[in-house]
Amino acid sequence: MSVAGYVERNRLELGSAVAVVLLALVLAVALDLPLAAIVTVGFIERSLQAATPIALAAIGGLYAEKSGVFNIGLEGFMILGAANAAAFVWLLGGESPTQGDLWLAILGAVLVSLVYTLLFAVLLVRYQADQIVAGLAVWFIGLGFGPFSAVLLWGNRNSPGLVSMNDVTVPVLADLPLLGPVLFDTSPLVLATAVVAVLAWVVLYRTRYGYWVQAAGENPEALDTAGVSVTRVRYAAVIFSGAMAGLAGAVLLAHAGSFTGTGDTMVNGRGWIGIVAYLFGNYNPIGAAAAALLFGGLDMLQIQFQTAGIEVSNRLVNLFPYVAVVVVLTVWGSTRMPSAVGEPYESEE
Amino acid sequence: MLDASALQRLGIATASTALALAIGLVVVAAAGYDPATFLMDMFEGAFGDQNSIGRTLKFTTIFILVGVAVAIAFRAGVFNIGVQGQFVVGGFATVVSILRLAPLLPAGTVGGLALLVLGTAFGIVAGGLYAALPGVLKAYGGANEIITTIMLNFIAVGIVGYLVEGPLRGEGNRAPNTARIPEYVQLPAVAFDSPDFSLVGLAVALVVVAIVSVVMIRTRFGYDMVTSGHQEAAATFSGVDAGRTIVSTMAFSGMVAGVAGAVFAIMIQGYYSDPGGVATYGFDAIAVSLLAANNPLGVVPAALLFGGLDSAGTHIGINSDVPPQLIDGVVGLVVLFVATPELFRMAARRTGLGGERR
Repeated sequence: MSVAGYVERNRLELGSAVAVVLLALVLAVALDLPLAAIVTVGFIERSLQAATPIALAAIGGLYAEKSGVFNIGLEGFMILGAANAAAFVWLLGGESPTQGDLWLAILGAVLVSLVYTLLFAVLLVRYQADQIVAGLAVWFIGLGFGPFSAVLLWGNRNSPGLVSMNDVTVPVLADLPLLGPVLFDTSPLVLATAVVAVLAWVVLYRTRYGYWVQAAGENPEALDTAGVSVTRVRYAAVIFSGAMAGLAGAVLLAHAGSFTGTGDTMVNGRGWIGIVAYLFGNYNPIGAAAAALLFGGLDMLQIQFQTAGIEVSNRLVNLFPYVAVVVVLTVWGSTRMPSAVGEPYESEE
Repeated sequence: MLDASALQRLGIATASTALALAIGLVVVAAAGYDPATFLMDMFEGAFGDQNSIGRTLKFTTIFILVGVAVAIAFRAGVFNIGVQGQFVVGGFATVVSILRLAPLLPAGTVGGLALLVLGTAFGIVAGGLYAALPGVLKAYGGANEIITTIMLNFIAVGIVGYLVEGPLRGEGNRAPNTARIPEYVQLPAVAFDSPDFSLVGLAVALVVVAIVSVVMIRTRFGYDMVTSGHQEAAATFSGVDAGRTIVSTMAFSGMVAGVAGAVFAIMIQGYYSDPGGVATYGFDAIAVSLLAANNPLGVVPAALLFGGLDSAGTHIGINSDVPPQLIDGVVGLVVLFVATPELFRMAARRTGLGGERR
């Protein structure tokens, strides 16, 4: 998939995206919004941070769906990932955890995610669970057991302040104008996510394994005939998606610095937005990451509005990403899903 | 699950619940509590005395209504995950309309009755309209209703939360709540002397079940709905407008969610508070409906089970150290297992327990 080819295939999407940005600009000028105070380096940095967990979850989810399994449980796996990461930080570092503890906690949360997404994958692939309903179940399980473990550990659905990820500064490069502070003086997780997005794209479109994943979702019979186990490819993709969502939750925690288990928990719909991000990115990992950046930016607008002195209720500004999702889905609703999504595959042997 | 026989469904539902509870007990034990005491506490909290029974029936009433709302859509092959949002919008509309209309009508029994009916009607309309929106987006924009309804839940909670915090907060209220609806607008206490449960509410829920069953089984509309859920192509060939069916199904489902919101607002709350803090009945409703195999009549026993679980959760939250969030997790496990009938079919075949039929 070359860049020119991508533009050719997604003319409508790209055109509408440009139209949305232009419309926003026109509105900003018409309403005389202090643009300079809204779009700042800090805003771009915060947007990148906010986009990171969404992008990671989206990349995982799109692999699963490409392989023919709709993993609608991303939100639930993110909640569990965040709760587990918080628990590990607490168990490792107690009251004053270090950066090292935080990295270990992220790793631990991903490993635990691997275990329960394996169980989830068995229910989906082997026992042919209804993918939609089972995915919703994961959400409920996360909403229940996430805060449950917080209450066990801290006697409260919210954790005390733990530790958040420090920015890293790449010498020399950080001094570049604009790009420097945004890209080279930021959370290492932001950079890692950019690398993951590119790698995910390369694997999906440039390796044999990526073709297997795509074939498992588009034409499982052909893949089977070619002697590759559809079941195995799907297992791998579902487990990858759950582990990525777990990582996304852990990253969310690492940026926030503490676990929030009240209401819809600190994940607060980001897993669902992740699903929309990869639909919006037309199952392209880089497109999904770009869409995640759009939602991350919308999420961070409230801080900008405050600092720019624009009087809008926080609660209403907080709704921007959700409204955007509904609009995006309506305009781009007819993205073509892989043809075998949702259908269990049984080999003939 | 829809192609299983009634007996099989019952077996799967029972096995799912039992397995989920068993895992819950393991978690309780692993967290260092005594599972036996926990079980006793649960039973006592659900059915121990008249108080507990009243509380169980209170939750059951709401679960029946939201469960039926979910079942209507699922039956027609549409996923309405937005019952929570429709429930919030419906309940809020009920409270606001009662508050606005109260000064125009005479106080006392007659006025109270009129306000009950009018408020509920507003709740039904609001719930129906809020559900019709994702229906329209799906039918004419191709937007996946699973995601749009979930987003609309967040949006409903945000907007109603904003309104009760600011513009519609009751005068002099410290908490973000609307004003209280008048004293005379309430359901009469029958048999149970509880401030937030009335048998009349339960009766309303059962009447709704009966109406929905009749509509689904005996009317053209219900027939079209269920056919398009099962055999979309066949339905289209026989002249059913698929888009219109989706919209009307969602609207019908949302109207029932609106009744649930109205009953919740009038019977339980008496005002409207920040919905961010309101229990997530609309989500548990999905579990209720699935457990009942999306059958409106089956929703009643399933709702009783969930009512009991929630009531036990309340009791446990007050009387024991075990965090009541455990119950939410157990509900999630029930849903997970209900989604996987194959697991139990295989287990049944292995153990030779009636696995011969598939």
